[in-house]
Amino acid sequence: MSTIIFEEVTKNYGRVQGISNVSLNIGPGVTGILGPNGAGKSTTMKVLLGLARPSIGSVYVDGVNPFDNFDLRNKIGFVPEYDCFYEHMSAVDYVSYFLMIHDFSKEEAVEKAENSLIELGLQDSMYRKIRTYSRGMRQKTKVARATAFNPQILVLDEPFQGADPTTRHLLMEKINSWSEEGKTILISSHILHDVEYLTDNIILINNGRVLASGNRHEIRKLMSNIPIQIKISPIDKNQLRPLVKRMLDEKWITAGRLLESEGEIILETNESEKFYTEFPQILEDEKIIVEKIVSDDDTLDSLYSKLVEGKQWK
Amino acid sequence: MEISKMFKRFPTLFPPIFKDCSYRLITNKLTWVLVAILMLPCALGLLVYYEFSGDRISEEVNGEKIYYTSSGELLHEDLRVLFLEISEYFGIGFIALLLGIMFSSELISEEYNLKTMQILRTSPIHPIEIFTYRYISGIITGVILLGLYSTIFYIIVMMGAGIHGILEEIGLLALVIKIVILNWIGFLSIFCAINVYFERPYLICFIYWLFWEQIMSGQNYQQITLTHYINSIIYDSLTEMGWSVTASDYGLVNSNNDTIATDPLISTFIILIVGISFIFIGSRGISSKQF
Repeated sequence: MSTIIFEEVTKNYGRVQGISNVSLNIGPGVTGILGPNGAGKSTTMKVLLGLARPSIGSVYVDGVNPFDNFDLRNKIGFVPEYDCFYEHMSAVDYVSYFLMIHDFSKEEAVEKAENSLIELGLQDSMYRKIRTYSRGMRQKTKVARATAFNPQILVLDEPFQGADPTTRHLLMEKINSWSEEGKTILISSHILHDVEYLTDNIILINNGRVLASGNRHEIRKLMSNIPIQIKISPIDKNQLRPLVKRMLDEKWITAGRLLESEGEIILETNESEKFYTEFPQILEDEKIIVEKIVSDDDTLDSLYSKLVEGKQWK
Repeated sequence: MEISKMFKRFPTLFPPIFKDCSYRLITNKLTWVLVAILMLPCALGLLVYYEFSGDRISEEVNGEKIYYTSSGELLHEDLRVLFLEISEYFGIGFIALLLGIMFSSELISEEYNLKTMQILRTSPIHPIEIFTYRYISGIITGVILLGLYSTIFYIIVMMGAGIHGILEEIGLLALVIKIVILNWIGFLSIFCAINVYFERPYLICFIYWLFWEQIMSGQNYQQITLTHYINSIIYDSLTEMGWSVTASDYGLVNSNNDTIATDPLISTFIILIVGISFIFIGSRGISSKQF
């Protein structure tokens, strides 16, 4: 079981701040790191991988500083966002080359490389030169290189980028199975839906600062100053006005908005539990049938919008 | 990581790295541009041979054909000077220097450009291994390329003097190949280290060579340049081979016109020390570089 600890880490590149005062404690399982471009996700990963030394603060991976410790590199697999290939090599040569760096003999390295590439569905093309590969195949090759030596920690920077739905599904399955094996997996992605599928543990980062970290449901509960919004669509659109009027009678509804053209209302409340307990009864009493209830309360998309972009449904 | 472990890993790790590096060096277009420039004297040598081979005077001694110039001097003694002078501009001179700069850039800078250096830095390979394997690959590829070139050029130049001439001056070819090896051991490590530390390595390498090696090597304190030690070895070897050369021909004199040539063994030792020192300097740069 591996742990990653950031203690008030700041990383400056000259006068540009990469990350500021970041404190994290990442344990086994999948943790998603989310934020817009330039938020500091890659810097966080670089500091964790020992590619950048913190300007202030300390980073410990399994209790040691990743910048100086070579043995630690046997425990960490890294899938970068960018391409990092010797294009003239085949995938087997490329993966086995890095396995030999991990002290596998040539025969072992080739065997492990082949197995890893076959697992990722590259059996038909693994002897072809990488320069002929599609984006998805390149992504799989990067993942094979990072995982073939069975690392305890996986750092995946945008692993689904350029992947077709089949590849994406396959990678997700693999990530889930590695997580079940007890590996510590840090994953960054712009595709919130993918991260949401993989984990509830997230780190939201923007402008180099961690806005929130932990279980996304817990994070949402802590955001009591930001009301929860719920969209409701009755089947009979004539019931839009009576419904919003009725709901505004309740003290725990702080605001209501009628969106006639979209056939829905938006309600705001600070007491979501009360809403979910009492709303069905109100519907029954008023004889209103709804076709859709969508809450922004703790979807990753909603959390991201609120915390990173600072916006809610209009 | 202990040094003993690095030696133990060498047989496994070096072959794939050498294969990759030599492939990249040989398939680089610039290599072939420089090889084409190197082949110019060879083409010229062939042209001269076919143009003037009829002007030679030959004599058969013990079944061996010995060629003379029209003025009665041994032809191979004339041609050897031509071979050495042209080699000093091409195989062990300016073109070889350009090849060395290009090789160092392909071996080190290109790894940063391809971002494979970032992956290597997250893998359990010591910066000394990263640097040394690429450096040795560069030396082997460069020496094979320039050694082959020097041999071909030597044969083309000396074939005017027949088999006798070729065999008679074979020591000169050995000297040129020795200088190629020492040049690459010394200069390639410096160029590779420059590639680790600077973002415009071509320019810095060239400035270093021009200002440090060319201008300083004619001064009183030329012992701080590699060129001094290379010239000392050439001068000493030619003297041993019976050539009538002076120390000033190789700039190995100070302002009082005193010879300041260094002993060839010490020169070789210093070149090796420089090569090894820059391995450590370059490796330090790799380990401390942040991304």
